[in-house]
Amino acid sequence: MKTYILTRIGLSIPMILIILTIVFFVLRVLPGNPVLAMLGPKAPPSVVKAMEHQMGLDKPILVQYFDYLKDIAHGNFGQSTVTGMPVLKELMQKFPATLELTIFAMIVAVFIGIFYGTLAAYKLGSPLDVSARIYSIFVYSFPVFWFGLMLQLIFGVWLHWLPVSGESSPFMTPDPTHTGLYVVDAIINGQWDVLKDSLEHLILPSLTLGIVISSIFVRMVRANVVLTLSQQFITAARARGVKEKTVLFRHALKNALPPILTIMGLQFALLLGGAVLTEVTFSWPGIGSYLVSRIHARDFTAIQGTIVFFAIFVAIISILVDVINAWINPRVRY
Amino acid sequence: MAVLSIKNLFIEYQTKSGTVKAVEDVSFDVEENESLGIVGESGCGKSTLGTAILRLLPQNAKITGKILLDGVNLLELDNESMRKIRGKDIAMIFQDPMTSLNPIMRVRDHFFELFKVHNPDMKKNEMIKIASEALESVGVDSKRLDNYPFEFSGGMRQRVMIALSIALKPKVLIADEPTTALDVVVQEQIMQVLKNLMKTKNMSIILITHDMGIVAEMAERVAVMYAGNLVELGEIHELYNNPLHPYTRMLLESIPNIKLDDMDLKFIPGSPPDLKNPPKGCKYYPRCPFAKDICKEKDPKTKKIGNRIVKCWLYGDENE
Ligand SMILES: Nc1ncnc2c1ncn2[C@@H]1O[C@H](COP(=O)(O)OP(=O)(O)OP(=O)(O)O)[C@@H](O)[C@H]1O
Ligand code: SF4
Ligand SMILES: [Mg+2]
Repeated sequence: MKTYILTRIGLSIPMILIILTIVFFVLRVLPGNPVLAMLGPKAPPSVVKAMEHQMGLDKPILVQYFDYLKDIAHGNFGQSTVTGMPVLKELMQKFPATLELTIFAMIVAVFIGIFYGTLAAYKLGSPLDVSARIYSIFVYSFPVFWFGLMLQLIFGVWLHWLPVSGESSPFMTPDPTHTGLYVVDAIINGQWDVLKDSLEHLILPSLTLGIVISSIFVRMVRANVVLTLSQQFITAARARGVKEKTVLFRHALKNALPPILTIMGLQFALLLGGAVLTEVTFSWPGIGSYLVSRIHARDFTAIQGTIVFFAIFVAIISILVDVINAWINPRVRY
Repeated sequence: MAVLSIKNLFIEYQTKSGTVKAVEDVSFDVEENESLGIVGESGCGKSTLGTAILRLLPQNAKITGKILLDGVNLLELDNESMRKIRGKDIAMIFQDPMTSLNPIMRVRDHFFELFKVHNPDMKKNEMIKIASEALESVGVDSKRLDNYPFEFSGGMRQRVMIALSIALKPKVLIADEPTTALDVVVQEQIMQVLKNLMKTKNMSIILITHDMGIVAEMAERVAVMYAGNLVELGEIHELYNNPLHPYTRMLLESIPNIKLDDMDLKFIPGSPPDLKNPPKGCKYYPRCPFAKDICKEKDPKTKKIGNRIVKCWLYGDENE
């Protein structure tokens, strides 16, 4: 198992390198001069030159490229051209909010996906199954921001049940902070009013994101469980008197999980895309909102840093997925 | 007394293209400690019959008649009571050992699951003991309890399946083509395992196969099926020496080493009928070299001749 994990980590290094390279060169060929964006179009050429020199932009592109790789290897994502702060530090400040949103959205999506998908597979052809198929096609076609707006309208504006923006109400942040995840910190501190406030703020954004991605999960779980349910070992388990619930979840679902997890891991990039849109819709102060505001400000270092950060995050998730797979499926491990 | 008694069993599959009459008016008894063979060509309803006994048929199957286990009609039991019979009173092994075990569960956990289902209070060391004994009794080292299915060959997996199915000492074991997917040498080994079990355990075996040779080796009585019908049933030697039904004769003719003087049929053309549109009269009529006029019009009744059962117009009175 240990060698498996190490090999898997080793294998993802070239992948990250490729992404880093693409990000670097794409941002170089994109129109717009970062220095001009920083100093304003009316800056005198001498100042621009000096700034370019300071940022290393006057060096040959290959030298720039290797400097960039070296910096990232040292955890140096450069300085924001807008705030002058280290980009990594800014990202780490925003990351907990994104992580919290993503985790809750995942919980929603996995919950809906596993139960709806498995039951639909079990009752193949029943009205429940038909409804699951309609659900996944229908919800898949929802644009994230439109769906978010609908939820805001219904539960915020009309019913006044839930807040529609932000991560917390004023003066309702956990103190002191430990992890940066509001829910976790509030629990650690025993601040129950803060916990309630954070959860209320989380509900709509995580439902929005969770429901939208659950459409893919429902479809995938259903298809894979249908496949495993048709196998001989399912009948054999039943022939030993195993309870239907156990047959369905322990035998059928668990065997269906490896392909599901693999695809989910691949979909994770999509989830982050959804997270960006959700954050913007709900003014959620995470990396998504950060990225969008820095795109408007043409803060190239920040944009580059955010994409690299996402790429590494996706790579880590895909390693995690493979490790979980290996843990479920002995054939991968041995 | 019979442990298992099948009475007037009918099984139909509803499909988009019509109703498949997979089992039609089948009745027979399985005596205590006996081994009963069920033979017939592919598609004649053997698996359907075997699976029906455990009530594990797919949703689209409709089943009527009676399946009595010690006098209790299984078809009238609620689902929960039926579930408790599976694996404990009646067990089953399947044709393909490669896919009969859950690939991500250790052999040990297959046993533990079985034991827990039927006896939640069983202690762990007792479970290990029974599982080890079951494995050893079919020639598998009990050390292999910790292995995953993919670490076994096909023959070994079938042994594990057999060990699993006999662990709780069921009254009836249904073996649906237990050796068909294996190569000849391994087939012989598995047959030997089953034979030993029959000698040492109090258990009846229903052995489903399309191979007359295997039945001859293993079974005390044999039921011959054709197109969903039970066409002949009798004691194995009697049936071999004097097959009554024309289809039984053809089957015997198809195995080498067995000579039947009064037969000169070498090849019978045709194939079993479509079970969605079976012939009106005798199902075997289109292939039968002895067919008479009445065979085409009327399905023969099942008749008892001594301790033989046969369903053919050649026997008994056409006008009854
Ligand atoms: N789920 C099903 N739906 C519809 N028809 C079915 C179904 N299962 C089996 N049948 C049909 O019922 C008939 C009997 O099938 P069964 O599997 O019982 O035969 P068998 O004697 O076991 O054959 P084999 O030797 O190939 O295993 C066949 O015509 C088959 O096509
Ligand atoms: S009933 Fe007629 S057709 Fe059918 S097996 Fe007997 S002789 Fe042949
Ligand atoms: Mg079969």
